[in-house]
Amino acid sequence: MGLTRRTVLVGGGSAALVSLLGAAQGPRAVPRTPGPFAVPVSAEVDLAEHVLRRCTFGVAPGDRERLARLAPRPEEAVDRWIEEQLRPGQTEDPDLVRQLRRLDSLGQPLGELYEWKPEVLLRELSSATLLRAVHSRWQLREVMVEVWGDHFNVDSGKAECAWLKAADDREVIRRHALGRFRDLLGASALSPAMLWYLDGRTNRRASAAERPNENYARELLELHTLGVDGGYSQADVMEAARCLTGWTARDRHGFRKGRVEFEPALHDDGEKRVLGRRFPPGQGPGDLDLLLDTVASHPATARHVGTRLCRRFIADEPPAGAVDAVASAFRSSGGDVPSVLRALFRTPEFRAPAARRAKLKRPFHALASALRTTGARTDGGAPLLDYLRRMGHAPFQYPTPEGPADVARAWTGTLLWRWRLGLALAGNELPGTSVDARELAARAGGAERLAAHLLGRTPDPAERAALASSPQPLALLLASPDFQRC
Amino acid sequence: MTSIALGGHPDEDRTLVTIFLRGGADGLALVPAVHDDGYHRARPRLGVSASRALRLEGPFGLAPELAELHPWFLSGELAVVHAAGSDDQSRSHFVAQEVMERGGLSASGGWIGRWLRSRQASGALGAISTGSELPDSLRGAPAATALGSLAALEPGGDWSGLCRALEGLYARDRLLGGPARDALTAAERLGTLAREGARPGDAARYPGPGEGELALGFGRDLGQVAALIRARVGLVAACVDLGNWDSHFAQETIVSTRMRALASGLAAFARDLGPLLARTSVVVMSEFGRRVMENASLGTDHGRGGVMFVLGGGTPGGMHCRWPGLDADRLDGPGDLSVVHDYRDVLAPVLARHGGGLSAAFPGYAPRPLPV
Repeated sequence: MGLTRRTVLVGGGSAALVSLLGAAQGPRAVPRTPGPFAVPVSAEVDLAEHVLRRCTFGVAPGDRERLARLAPRPEEAVDRWIEEQLRPGQTEDPDLVRQLRRLDSLGQPLGELYEWKPEVLLRELSSATLLRAVHSRWQLREVMVEVWGDHFNVDSGKAECAWLKAADDREVIRRHALGRFRDLLGASALSPAMLWYLDGRTNRRASAAERPNENYARELLELHTLGVDGGYSQADVMEAARCLTGWTARDRHGFRKGRVEFEPALHDDGEKRVLGRRFPPGQGPGDLDLLLDTVASHPATARHVGTRLCRRFIADEPPAGAVDAVASAFRSSGGDVPSVLRALFRTPEFRAPAARRAKLKRPFHALASALRTTGARTDGGAPLLDYLRRMGHAPFQYPTPEGPADVARAWTGTLLWRWRLGLALAGNELPGTSVDARELAARAGGAERLAAHLLGRTPDPAERAALASSPQPLALLLASPDFQRC
Repeated sequence: MTSIALGGHPDEDRTLVTIFLRGGADGLALVPAVHDDGYHRARPRLGVSASRALRLEGPFGLAPELAELHPWFLSGELAVVHAAGSDDQSRSHFVAQEVMERGGLSASGGWIGRWLRSRQASGALGAISTGSELPDSLRGAPAATALGSLAALEPGGDWSGLCRALEGLYARDRLLGGPARDALTAAERLGTLAREGARPGDAARYPGPGEGELALGFGRDLGQVAALIRARVGLVAACVDLGNWDSHFAQETIVSTRMRALASGLAAFARDLGPLLARTSVVVMSEFGRRVMENASLGTDHGRGGVMFVLGGGTPGGMHCRWPGLDADRLDGPGDLSVVHDYRDVLAPVLARHGGGLSAAFPGYAPRPLPV
């Protein structure tokens, strides 16, 4: 049998484990302890709680202390916590590392992925995503992985994406989640999964008679960079498609499966003009770089990406002032993601009381936070993924390129399954996942304080009354309206 | 396997039920062209005589095993389409099913999944399936889940107590109050269903144990779908499988059993629904039909054109086919009935009666809807 998280951490385990915990690495390396943990004490979500709720997949027992320990004043502590999260270190939760190691397909090189059954790849990648969201120390990075995964949505159900999405997640989304937008965009443009998903691999113009496939070029402008109102024309889409002709990915039937190549004979090497910029003839594969430089540095892109980030971190209807500030940071930093996020988290709109509890958790977030806040032990297995599928939010399975919506109205129809999940989790009815509700309440310091931990604020009279008369307070809290928010 | 999509408001009152005959059902067995000499030449041993088949229209008869469906044809509630199928020419089960259920290999998600998503229904429930996994057609649905039995609809623990407590907490919530009311209504109806079971009326007469496992299981699946429709839990689409039609060898035993299961299940379902059949469309389809000429082992091999049925939901019924005939020069590839009617042209009018959304289901396809 496996060691529980608790026995590993409490019992001390081996010297190797202790060093993995990174005892010298400062506050972030403090292990999860079975002892008491701090809970919110005010009736409204305080700043520290707000930042933790927005920038993580749920506030785990002990998260508040870790943040508070960084500085005496909450404003300062929050800034330091954000800084830490923007520069993730190498250390990782040892249990998470061990669990991920069991998912054999995760680290497979591109060509090897084709040896796996698509359903195994999808299951392992989905489990890994959930486990990381629940246990990773670098929560903001996991949140950004989700944001970019949506922004550059690839449905693993289309053609060879079944094998290639695993590589896309690793080499494109994760690698650049806290890097530079231009690098992320470049990796995505030449990701074999994206070349399949948006038909880039069939975009060719070997003769004047052939018409390029515009699918990727259109989504590049409409979704990935400028945005639908970003000021480009149909001519720009067609010219961008010409720039991208000749880039292809080998299919699974020959050698070097999944390899991305540039075929000069299939490239339209004539002169092009995109967004007012002249692309001289004869540039070959250089057209792609110039195109991506052009669209990544376009002011509309700063605004479009900034709007997405503000929608994720501030409100469904992003406040104009915050979008301006974030777009401006995007431009001045050349699309440096940490700089952009730093600017976002400094906006008064992000910190304003109006922003607190303003977002509805999407189903994945709701599930991950239920596991994280309760300190659940979980294998991230099929029963949990089934819940996500029922709620229409299974990872890597969104069919259309715009990705799953990040606004409340798209997800209000999922309440029934959220309630059932809360009941099943609190009642330990999910195979592979367990929660010790009694111990959690004891560590929190009683039912009221447990409520404050899950709700992010002290319970109001109606919640107190409902909890007092409930035989299953943890289930009730997990199913309650405010647990659905962040 | 049965998959049920619960996507809409609890009082959503139209349901699309697709029945997929997996394995390539022989259209010329289901609906033999008994008045076409070519049919009897191609099927000297497997063919049925005109006198044994039930009268449809033109050259077509209905297989005697499907006799239970004949009354619905006569009353104009059952439409039959022959020489129907997809444009896939692979004759591979895997590829052809995928093409049909995805709505093309270049599409992302399944056609029902896309259709459901386009409806923007944000009801209390997403999608449920009674099988172990979802069919490709439901991929990308706003919600989809496996429903092994109606009993699974009632969670353990004190579910009703939890719902009562939540009712108060959600009532005061501006964003979530309305959706919570829908969820509570659906929960109550599903709970009743789970406790009481499908309870079809006596008149439904679903297949009993004496009619074999296949008919029993198919009938049970349909009985659950009917119960969910009657319970008004927001059922928008249900997918039911009836499998193993791949009759390369000794076709008669394979296909006759399945035709009887199909007919007895569907007839019971239609009787069970009663007046609700008018708001429920049943579409029966298969990935392809089979070779016109029977093979040496009294079977048929993979072909192209097959048969589709549309039952209920306001279909005008009738027999629909621009019959290409069975002369050698009219056959497709190795000797297959051509696909004259694209399956999407059969689905087009059905989806139109279910609120539209054809372009979401089949993006880029310009339908020529059949009057079914």
